[in-house]
Amino acid sequence: MKPFALNHAVPADQSPAVIPYSYNAALQLNVLPDGRPAISDRGVLLECGTTTSTAGSKTHFDD
Amino acid sequence: MTVLILTSQEDVTADLVVAELRERNVPLLRFDPADLPGQAGISTEFERGDFTGYLSTDGRLVSVNSLRSVWVRRPGQPAAHAPEPSEWLTAECGQALYGMLYSTEARWMNHPGAALLARSKPWQLRTAHRSGFAVPPTLITTYPRAAKEFASQFKDIVVKTVSGPPPVNPPIALPTTRIDPETDFSGVAAGATLLQRYIPKTADIRLTCVGGRLFAARKTAASGQVDGRYGFYGHLWGAVDVPDRIARAVREYMTLGGLAYGAFDFAEDEDGTWWFLECNQGGQFGFIELETGQPIAAAIATWLAAPRTA
Repeated sequence: MKPFALNHAVPADQSPAVIPYSYNAALQLNVLPDGRPAISDRGVLLECGTTTSTAGSKTHFDD
Repeated sequence: MTVLILTSQEDVTADLVVAELRERNVPLLRFDPADLPGQAGISTEFERGDFTGYLSTDGRLVSVNSLRSVWVRRPGQPAAHAPEPSEWLTAECGQALYGMLYSTEARWMNHPGAALLARSKPWQLRTAHRSGFAVPPTLITTYPRAAKEFASQFKDIVVKTVSGPPPVNPPIALPTTRIDPETDFSGVAAGATLLQRYIPKTADIRLTCVGGRLFAARKTAASGQVDGRYGFYGHLWGAVDVPDRIARAVREYMTLGGLAYGAFDFAEDEDGTWWFLECNQGGQFGFIELETGQPIAAAIATWLAAPRTA
């Protein structure tokens, strides 16, 4: 028998396939291909959804 | 004195705080327990009453006795990146790492013991009630009959997950969903189910508490919108004042939970009452900061950079 809550599941939004930034160990933060910190580009952050309230749902308990 | 940030590399929200700390020249170490052992390492020694310990990653080495604070942001599972990961290896590395950190005088945001308790929905609801929040009637049960009686009593109810969505592939979401009171509740016997009286809301409220600082944001709800996390209806988050009664309740809740950080979700009804829905002890704040300009990352950095008290 399926747990009741799962009767109301919907497909989760998938993260974009390509994240346009990568971790820089020297700076200890993520940077864009041009070397700027990823957090300096608000549009990138919003587009990637990495800071949204459901961003952690896939791997963590808290949104 | 160093700030230790336990998080994954890809956690760009943590970058907001890293940047704040760097700007203030506060030493920090970003450490993912998933990299242990291998890319990251630890060593601790207890000898004749003395305690020493070290963490290293990416060529950085830090003494645990020099830690002023630990921010548990979104750490990976210990040993998750090991060549041959296993539950045993996770337990071994996790107990070694966190046990070492528990032995320090560092301040925690949030201490894992407090976090574990604070994740529990029943504890949240009970503590919210004790703290003075308005809390919707809620049932958590494995009895279909109890679920049916609850639905009959309150008519308009929602179902929520107790712990979050299951880790399946492809990933699924479990948005808060309204339930027809005549629905078949037999599936309640197959898993703990959380039912709650539906609060018709005019807005979602996200209140982020950092130490003693409160940042509240409000987003108008669309007609019939149940879960504010899903669907975009053209409404944006905007900063809003915190009523005194809510501020007192938040501080009481944080004290009862031993929490330094919490992200509270409320439903605002047409009378202006903020109904407590939940408090995510590790809740996201980046989306609020981006939309409202509220300096939450700066507040976290300030808390982490403060001198330890002991």
